Amino acid sequence: MTIVKPIQIQAANNALEAWNSLGVQGRAELLENAVSKFSGAQASMAQWQLDNARHEIGEAVVLPGPTGESNVLSTHGRGAFLITAQDSFTSDSALVALVGQTFAALVAGNPVITVGQEGQTIMDKIAPFVAEGVIQNVATSAEESIVAAEDLAGIATLCDADHAQALYLKLANKSGLLCQLVEENDVDALPVIGAPHYILRFVTEQTVSNNTTAIGGNATLLELGSKEE
Amino acid sequence: MFNALEVLEPTILERPLNELWQRISPLYSVNEEQWLSELLKLAEPTDAQLKASTDAATTLIQEVRKDDTSMSMIDSLLLEYSLDTKEGILLMCLAEALMRVPDKETADAFIKDRLSVADWASHAKNSDSFFVNASTWGLLLTGKIVTMDETKDGKPANLVNRMVNRVSEPVIRKAMNQAMKIMGHQFVLGRSISEALSRGKSYRDKGYTYSFDMLGEAALTASDADKYLKSYEQAIESVGKDTYSKGHRPTISIKLSALHPRYEVGCEERVMTELFESVKGLIAKARELNVGITIDAEEADRLELSLHLFEKLFRDDVTKGWGLFGLVVQAYSKRCLPVLNWLAALAKDVGDRIPLRLVKGAYWDSEIKLCQQRGLSGYPVYTRKEATDVSYLACAQFLLSSHTREWIFPQFASHNAHTIATIATIAENLGATTNEYEFQRLHGMGDALYNRLIKDKDVCVRIYAPVGSHKDLLPYLVRRLLENGANSSFVHRLVDASHPVEELTHHPVTTLKSRKTLGNPFINLPKDMFADRKNSYGPNIEIESEWKPFKASVDAFMGQDTQWTAYPIVGGKNLETDSIRDVNSPYDHSLAVGKVHWGTKDIVDQAIEIADAAYPTWSNTPATERAACLERMAELMEENYAELVAICHREAGKTIQDSIDEVREAVDFCNYYAQQVRQNFAAPITYKNYLGKEQSVQLTGRGVFACISPWNFPLAIFTGQVVAALAAGNTVVCKAAEQTSLIAYRAVQMLHQAGVPGEALHFLPGNGSTIGAPMTQNKRIAGLAFTGSTGTAQLINRTLASRGVAPVPVIAETGGQNAMLIDSTSLPEQVVRDAVRSAFASAGQRCSALRVLFVQADIADRVIPMIAGAMKEQTVGLPYLHSTDVGPVIDEKAQTMLLEHIEVMKKEGKLIAQSALPEWADKGTFVAPTAFEISSIDQLKDEKFGPIMHVVRYKAKDLDKVIDTINNSGFGLTMGVHSRNETTCARIAQRARVGNLYINRDQVGAVVGVQPFGGQGLSGTGPKAGGPHYLPRFAKEQLV
Repeated sequence: MTIVKPIQIQAANNALEAWNSLGVQGRAELLENAVSKFSGAQASMAQWQLDNARHEIGEAVVLPGPTGESNVLSTHGRGAFLITAQDSFTSDSALVALVGQTFAALVAGNPVITVGQEGQTIMDKIAPFVAEGVIQNVATSAEESIVAAEDLAGIATLCDADHAQALYLKLANKSGLLCQLVEENDVDALPVIGAPHYILRFVTEQTVSNNTTAIGGNATLLELGSKEE
Repeated sequence: MFNALEVLEPTILERPLNELWQRISPLYSVNEEQWLSELLKLAEPTDAQLKASTDAATTLIQEVRKDDTSMSMIDSLLLEYSLDTKEGILLMCLAEALMRVPDKETADAFIKDRLSVADWASHAKNSDSFFVNASTWGLLLTGKIVTMDETKDGKPANLVNRMVNRVSEPVIRKAMNQAMKIMGHQFVLGRSISEALSRGKSYRDKGYTYSFDMLGEAALTASDADKYLKSYEQAIESVGKDTYSKGHRPTISIKLSALHPRYEVGCEERVMTELFESVKGLIAKARELNVGITIDAEEADRLELSLHLFEKLFRDDVTKGWGLFGLVVQAYSKRCLPVLNWLAALAKDVGDRIPLRLVKGAYWDSEIKLCQQRGLSGYPVYTRKEATDVSYLACAQFLLSSHTREWIFPQFASHNAHTIATIATIAENLGATTNEYEFQRLHGMGDALYNRLIKDKDVCVRIYAPVGSHKDLLPYLVRRLLENGANSSFVHRLVDASHPVEELTHHPVTTLKSRKTLGNPFINLPKDMFADRKNSYGPNIEIESEWKPFKASVDAFMGQDTQWTAYPIVGGKNLETDSIRDVNSPYDHSLAVGKVHWGTKDIVDQAIEIADAAYPTWSNTPATERAACLERMAELMEENYAELVAICHREAGKTIQDSIDEVREAVDFCNYYAQQVRQNFAAPITYKNYLGKEQSVQLTGRGVFACISPWNFPLAIFTGQVVAALAAGNTVVCKAAEQTSLIAYRAVQMLHQAGVPGEALHFLPGNGSTIGAPMTQNKRIAGLAFTGSTGTAQLINRTLASRGVAPVPVIAETGGQNAMLIDSTSLPEQVVRDAVRSAFASAGQRCSALRVLFVQADIADRVIPMIAGAMKEQTVGLPYLHSTDVGPVIDEKAQTMLLEHIEVMKKEGKLIAQSALPEWADKGTFVAPTAFEISSIDQLKDEKFGPIMHVVRYKAKDLDKVIDTINNSGFGLTMGVHSRNETTCARIAQRARVGNLYINRDQVGAVVGVQPFGGQGLSGTGPKAGGPHYLPRFAKEQLV
């Protein structure tokens, strides 16, 4: 079987490491430049996603544990994300949703691929502020090839339940990693896109555990051992 | 708890030895407050004694301060590069690793990494010591460069940064190595005993004598142990030829862990035979040449084992009547006093005196850390320095008593002026002459104090002096120095004339009693390590008083008369079925464990229907009540610890420590998720939406969650998935792996007992086709948690997607192709220990287990044979025996797959080593731990879930290519890194697409809430189990 790997996926994967290495704060700062290119509810949504990301995943979490080791939990992008909407979702609110999906996926550390004319508009506003490959757009006719690509990490989509179900089946039938489907069905209220934990759907987590006493000397304990009340 | 004052009664030594032995182990982690209250009675001086010891200490310090030339080289180094400064630590880091780095590239990178972050220049010319200045100059290269740069901008902090970037790297490397050689020369008395005897002559002329130690790392292989044995033999011969006529004869200190690769409680039989014979041979030689031998102290876990061995040697004819075979005992141990008591009685029983070095204790911080990691009952050591000092003086009181002096020759090792003065005072009070005890100090430390003492008193002072190659010893000595970093503070204060003498002469009894608590309130007990939840408990199986009752409790479930039967539990009721499967032990298929009634499609549908109906009620149960159920579950598992461990042995073939860790992890999942649900589910989250309007969302369950868990963590992962789903407000139908349904059944029973309604949790034993398929085909399933293979996860996902209903969350933890990268700055002994554990512990049947070890080519020829040697020392056997390192694999299917892979690798790779199997291995499903060298990770198509390690050599310059190759495998679960170069570690952490990265340690054994676990890419969807983002994925955010 021929493995499908569209050039956009390759470009996104090439951009992934550098984009991820900026961290949430670094990415949010770059993306904030793009927020001003949007207006009204779209701008509000874009800014809200950045603020929410800062709040939810902005800082690596230092986890408690035995002395003499450090354990830090951080989040990273999953990989290339497709941002799309069902054809019938063309209202202003749908555009707000697309902007929200795009900014959430990007600030989480993922390169994104938008679709069609709406996607092009979004990409044009963001692309000047990010590195090549971080945001790309494909024609609607090319969307299927992206969906079918083995390395696609996820799809954020605005669609009805039937469409979501069909897309889910399509993704599940692919080989390779379990491609994430992050769907919003309510174009008016946007209860998924507008919720605090939405950002978590776009991240993967990494725990780094460091034995800080490998060469000897548990400074934390020695300090505690001699600490005066 | 015995009355400490009893030891002062001469009749104490009349007591039966066994009675005195029984007093030792229970004090392992005894309540610190209670036991110190006892010891204080023994250490408390009278007013007159207090005045005498204070006056003596004051005089000693004043005399030392008058002597400008008395500070030793190492004292000076510690004074200049204090271990509480960044520079001090970094200097030690360089010293610990640089000399062993064989390749220029890595050495240069390491130097740059270390030096570019410290303020070396501020130390230039600060010290009067030639040695310190030599080191500093070595570090700063030349005075010329320093002067030039200082003149230019006067910003010394930037100096080395620029130098490192500017001066050619070979020059820096040469200078650094020279600096390290100078340090090595100071820390080590000689590269051989003859050199040490020669260099030590000037001190012996002053009245000192020596105890030489061929220090080094513990042996990991038989050949290392043999090498150390030969070097001890040579040392004894050299000292035996010593013709220096004055004073006391030098002795040899030996480290038992260097003489046997498995000096551990679990290998007691080997220790009491193989190691016994080795030491016996040394004693025979030493006795013939009249060279005293002292056995060094080691970790707290080995104390009781070392005493058993000592007794056997001491009672042997080879030692009887000699009187120069002694040992070291550490005062920081809570068991110290009863140990001394028993030793004195042993000496009396045998009729020979024991030379005994009383030290305060090394590795204090490691002892504490290990207890925290293992969730032990408490600490084996005191948590305040002054408590150790009190113990030291209490023990001295016993050792110097007339009834003890007859049988013990005490040797007091300390660098603390007050301790030394107080010992001398106690000795005088008890009528001990200076011939009845001696002092000991470390080479290079405490010169000033002891020069003065030797002048003032006719007492023997022995210098404990490391001997050996600088390259081998420097890392070891640096670690010891760092571990005892607190000691350097006394050196500071001793020589710092501005520091009032009175502050150095506080009696530790006075200091300790002035504290609000006798224990250190800043060092919580292991159970209290987390502020918001209870840590799980683990018994210490290395300690007699914990091991024996634990073993007895487990043994009660190990007989064939104990059998378990598991049923589907639906609506809280057991359902008998016609499909009954036998469960047999994987280590011996003739042994029955129980029976499992497999469920059917109808039972699955019935369970889901009830669960669906129960969802609203359970979901509306307050989060705090759900959390309380989880906490009760944690308690119930700890109450039923022994039974759960026994099932782990018998059903899953898990070793003892693995079984303990299994229960602990399950307990931790319950307590952690309980805390998380209280924190995040008890009340709505209020926030401003994107339009600036305030709104609230409540995390609520989704409906019926399906949980499908694997056999490799049959209790922990099973419980973790189920309680997470329940905690979030879902009702649950769960299927355990068909190989391990018995323990899962017991867990579900306990969950019901803990308060989870029968309607909310249903247990469905069976295999994938009978249970998994109908479960995942059911349209009511609102989410799924799965741990297992990548292929099965894909299959399940497809099944769920085919139902024609809305997408549901799939939380999948799947396979890995886990790598460990080691560069040439790493310490081979640490690498080998961690690699072998990561690859072979649990028979390699951990998701996190090491599969491919990448070794920098420059050190591969040293590391690979060590791995082979360490593998030969592993015992494959019955999992319920303490001596077993590796148990069986789970079943024949797994065994066949692994054996086939081994055959393929024998053709395609190069066999490094294979551990031996027991003769009876064919009774069960065993696979010998095996290691192969291969050329690339690309030779491996998929994960081989068992005890097979692959080793790949790489060139330092190709590190990024190696990371790319690992990333390209698509898997991303765990990775290990061993490097002293922080820049390298950071680079790997940034580039590696793995879920869990472990630096300078093994890569298995993630702890709930501490190391959230899970992978990315082909290794899983996330979020991580045991992490803060896990529960929200089981829930939906509902606007309220």
